[in-house]
Amino acid sequence: MDVFMMLAPLIIIQFLLMIVAIIALLKTEQTNGPKPMWAAIIILISFIGPILFFIVGRRQY
Amino acid sequence: MTVIEVEKLTKAFKGKTIVKGLDFQLEKGRCVALLGPNGAGKTTTLRMLSGLLKSTSGIINFSGSQKGEDIRKYIGYLPQYPVFHPWMTGKEFLVYVGQLAHLTKQEASEKADQLLKKVAIYESRNQRIGKYSGGMKQRLGIAQAMIHSPQLLMLDEPVSSLDPIGRREVLTLMEELKTQTTVLFSTHILGDAEEICDDLLLMHQGEILESGSIDALRQRHQSAKFEIALRGDSATYLETLQAFSSVQDVFQEKGEVHVVVEDIELARKEILTKVLEEDWPLEKLALSKTTLEDLFMKVVKK
Amino acid sequence: MQWITIFKKELLEDWRNFKWVWVPLVFIIICIMDPLSTYYLPQILDAVGGVPEGTVIEGPELGPTEAIMFSLTEVSMLGVLVIVAISMAVIAGERKSGVAELVLVKPVSYFTYISAKWAAKLLLVFTAYLIGMLTSWYYVNLLFGDLSASQFIGLFLFYFIWLIFVVTLTFLYNTVVKIPGLVLTLSLITIMAMSAINQIFSFRMPWFPNSISEHITTMLAEGAIPNDLWGAAGITLGLSVILLVASNFILKTKEMAD
Repeated sequence: MDVFMMLAPLIIIQFLLMIVAIIALLKTEQTNGPKPMWAAIIILISFIGPILFFIVGRRQY
Repeated sequence: MTVIEVEKLTKAFKGKTIVKGLDFQLEKGRCVALLGPNGAGKTTTLRMLSGLLKSTSGIINFSGSQKGEDIRKYIGYLPQYPVFHPWMTGKEFLVYVGQLAHLTKQEASEKADQLLKKVAIYESRNQRIGKYSGGMKQRLGIAQAMIHSPQLLMLDEPVSSLDPIGRREVLTLMEELKTQTTVLFSTHILGDAEEICDDLLLMHQGEILESGSIDALRQRHQSAKFEIALRGDSATYLETLQAFSSVQDVFQEKGEVHVVVEDIELARKEILTKVLEEDWPLEKLALSKTTLEDLFMKVVKK
Repeated sequence: MQWITIFKKELLEDWRNFKWVWVPLVFIIICIMDPLSTYYLPQILDAVGGVPEGTVIEGPELGPTEAIMFSLTEVSMLGVLVIVAISMAVIAGERKSGVAELVLVKPVSYFTYISAKWAAKLLLVFTAYLIGMLTSWYYVNLLFGDLSASQFIGLFLFYFIWLIFVVTLTFLYNTVVKIPGLVLTLSLITIMAMSAINQIFSFRMPWFPNSISEHITTMLAEGAIPNDLWGAAGITLGLSVILLVASNFILKTKEMAD
């Protein structure tokens, strides 16, 4: 129980990161590659997936 | 009064000289077209004037500016393919570049609204630029070039990427702008230049071949021309026509032979005599004046 | 005035593309990952059930200073990677897309353009790193024992000097090339090369930028700031200033329009 309480914030933050990435994915007009693929990456690869999307997933310059 | 004076402006790039010692000056309040085919060096010239490119040699002198002063504040520039921050709204972008041109936020905001109305995208001012159409971006591009009321407005091929309706809108807009500032714009279409400009700089292969007011150029290069159509291959007659003493130049266009002449009377006599003598299968013989188009084509083909 | 304009525009841009949200979140994870997993490794292994009955996992006895250094180690790897990645297009991207052509044709000095962007990016990095390290500090105090505020502030600020250098180096490459991916690659190669040089010659070059974290370890162990840390920090800050000025000169030599 103690372990769970301590690790909970880490899990919550990872989840938050995923949610933000999904919102960004929905709002972005142009992604590098198909959106469903990015959705899968964001959801399936925790932590690294959202970061990857934020860095290389969007065309925005 | 002169707005800008250019002397021996040259640009060499990777061993190739793209702009070869241009000399010209722009008069205040005129609308000047920099006309030339693709690859003539028009964009390079505009970019040097705007300060985006450094000239290899030559002098650009902006009247009223101090020596060593940043002349960018006097210049508004629209590149051929303007790119904006897609995440900004049209209004935000104008206020942003307005502030970069030393306007206060308040001034920039008022000027932005004014320009957005003028270029007719006021309704979309709070939309992200990413959602704008090509024509809207072009008009936003003109607005951003005008934000600091520049003394010289330079537009690089402002209408060439637009559809006919967008073209018409931008040309009308330019008609209006030229009453407010000196305009220099590049184009490869003579019609656009003739339609809205006072002066012409004809550029080809890095050099200015002709310059002056459109009317003066038209007069200087106006000569008589016979348009002859013959059955069969008219090319076989070119040489004979060329040999006449009254003929200056002969070229073929759309299957017709165009004969530029000096003395109309003499030429008529010479040509008709030959036609009768050799019994040419004549289908059309017409007299017309040469146009600027002919001059443009001649210059470009040389 | 122009400086503030560009600074604000950068902050707005990073807000609209979610950097102000995701970078701090990522830094929290980066900073607490190692201390947490180290502390709970026995329990985690136990829960997974991969350990035979009766095995006693004797974790090394860690003090708070070692634990917080775990966070810094992660920042120096993943954190630096993220910092370089969020800065790789800051100028290069605008040059590549052509927006720079509209911005730099306005009467704005190149140094204003670079330094305002630099400050805005540093503010983001500082905030994310601060939030991440504060979280880590909280956990370290909870799990490994007290780490004093002065120790925390010391290690936090001295290590931030290294991060300033990382951001500035990325800016330099932003002016050299205009392909963001190439900026990333060149920056990381440079940082790795510097790290290798530091490992080989560390005893001869105590003031080399990469030695900051070693000196921080010493500082935490001895409870006083070693002279070499001041030296390394000074050199790193000085180098950053030189790089920033160099970026300005390099950008000036570039043809904006090619």
